[in-house]
Amino acid sequence: MSARPVPPTFATGAVRVFSLSLGEMLWSRRTVFLLLVTGAPVFLALVARIVQGSGVVPLRVNGAAVDGGSIFGMMIWVFFLRFIVPVLGVFYGTSLIADEVEDRTITYLFTRPIRRGAVLVGKYLAYLVSTTLVVLPSVVLVYFLLVPLGQVARTFVAFAVDLGLLALGLASYGALFALVGAALKRPLVSGLVFVFGWEQIALLVPGYLKKFTIAYYVQGLVPHAMPSEGVATLLQSVLRDNPPALVCIVTLAAVVGATLWLGVRAVESREYVLDQ
Amino acid sequence: MTKPTRLFLFVSGGILAAGLGTGLVAAYVGGFQNLTLFAATGPDELAYLPADAKVVAFANVREIMASELHQKLQALVPRNENGLARFQEETGVDMTRDVDYVLAAIGGDLAAGPEQGRPLVMAHGHFDNVRIEGLVRSKGGMVEDYKGIRFLKATEPNGGMDMALAFVEPGLIAMGSDAAVRQAIDGHSGSANATGNAELTRLVKDASDGNAWVVARFDALSAAGKIPPEVAQRLPAINWLTLSGHVNGGISLAARAEARDDAAAKNLRDVLQGILALAKLQTGQRADLTAIMDSVELGGEGKNVSLGLSVPIEVVDHLAALRTPTGVTPPPAAP
Repeated sequence: MSARPVPPTFATGAVRVFSLSLGEMLWSRRTVFLLLVTGAPVFLALVARIVQGSGVVPLRVNGAAVDGGSIFGMMIWVFFLRFIVPVLGVFYGTSLIADEVEDRTITYLFTRPIRRGAVLVGKYLAYLVSTTLVVLPSVVLVYFLLVPLGQVARTFVAFAVDLGLLALGLASYGALFALVGAALKRPLVSGLVFVFGWEQIALLVPGYLKKFTIAYYVQGLVPHAMPSEGVATLLQSVLRDNPPALVCIVTLAAVVGATLWLGVRAVESREYVLDQ
Repeated sequence: MTKPTRLFLFVSGGILAAGLGTGLVAAYVGGFQNLTLFAATGPDELAYLPADAKVVAFANVREIMASELHQKLQALVPRNENGLARFQEETGVDMTRDVDYVLAAIGGDLAAGPEQGRPLVMAHGHFDNVRIEGLVRSKGGMVEDYKGIRFLKATEPNGGMDMALAFVEPGLIAMGSDAAVRQAIDGHSGSANATGNAELTRLVKDASDGNAWVVARFDALSAAGKIPPEVAQRLPAINWLTLSGHVNGGISLAARAEARDDAAAKNLRDVLQGILALAKLQTGQRADLTAIMDSVELGGEGKNVSLGLSVPIEVVDHLAALRTPTGVTPPPAAP
């Protein structure tokens, strides 16, 4: 009599789901959205570069020319931090389990001889790799299009920090919305409300409420000044309650760990009822 | 993993690696400027400043000199070029091009006499060390070696403060009183420097958004007689005062005061509110000043009081036009 096959460990199961999901995720319709969203800043940077090359200053504030490094800083704030990272986190994170439920394919995954939690973790890793490998190269292209090589020595550390904090932001938002997707019935709506409702309001309200947002900790790591044309923004940047970098990193890492663990618990305990 | 997926990973990873690699090489060649963790903790030279610094000021000379505002002001009020030319001839330092930034501090007890309020200036840029040393020697100064650092000393003939200058790092000089420069060298090699002053570094970090800023203990300013006593007595208790400015096309200024407690901050806000209302009344008929007054914003919460204002380049142009005789246009700013 042959020995019964040993079921794969949690980590092995997660890696198998990761390699299966990565291709699916990259070649899905959602990737078109991802490419459009991350391609827009590259396109704008290219236009700015062409305009600059023709001798025209691409951006002026109060009549003064804004240098490439400052434009890059603005784009990190406006495009990547305030829009791309949270939006990708919502759209991809909430869909990790919800899409399988909607397509009624979750049964096939759950009947595999791996733990249910490993499915979530494997899919989360696939999300992290596919989004970072689209977002970060886009940031690299924007940086080298906007910042002259002569300024790279001065701005490289800030650029490296930008890449790190964007990856951390994607990891945090993705893990949080993976939990939301695993635990709630309408995860996308809840995610959008969190990103465009709760976070926007909490960041403006004086007091401790902002500490219950991810944006507060991600923005605390940004090495660029908060962009704005007027005094209001200057004041906002002066009054911005900047938590120490270590606090931001530890908190974001804790968010990733805690929400993923809760997500795994939710997937393993919840009964997913498929619509007929 | 399919072939297209592998190709995608290869291309994306390649762009990322090429970008980081290029940046790393460029930064290495350029000497890794601004290499501080998360780049927002203020200049590295803070490690030379005394731990008990009461006033710290910074100016990014290169940015300010290159600003449109400076070009306009230079056209409006020409500098004493003879003095600058002589300085350059003697020291080899072109103030407009060779100095990157300057960081200054005053430590000790300002009220206890000049020996206590020791000024220290750290200047970063391109300096001709040999020529500067020659100049100091020609003026009767002495050169010595202090902890492996070239230390130039000059004593004023009237028995005033001993002045010193040390080439502490390539492209970085420390200037000030003899004791202050020695303390800077000692502090940098040990741990007794401004980076250990958590309160000061926090305020410097907050102020360092601008290309010129000052962080000062309020009691140090009033003790040094920088604030008229009648004004100082009427102001609520303030611990720290921060002034941060960004000079480019125009000027954006943000002043922040950290009061002793919430009640003192509220009192200060009320005082400033009254002054602003009065100023708006007084300047109502002046379009140029109205633009500045309209930009003033008073805010802050808790112990903090903030005041921001913006002087756009148009206002500078307008003020320049007022100074210029009719029919004479000021020369255009240099590109």
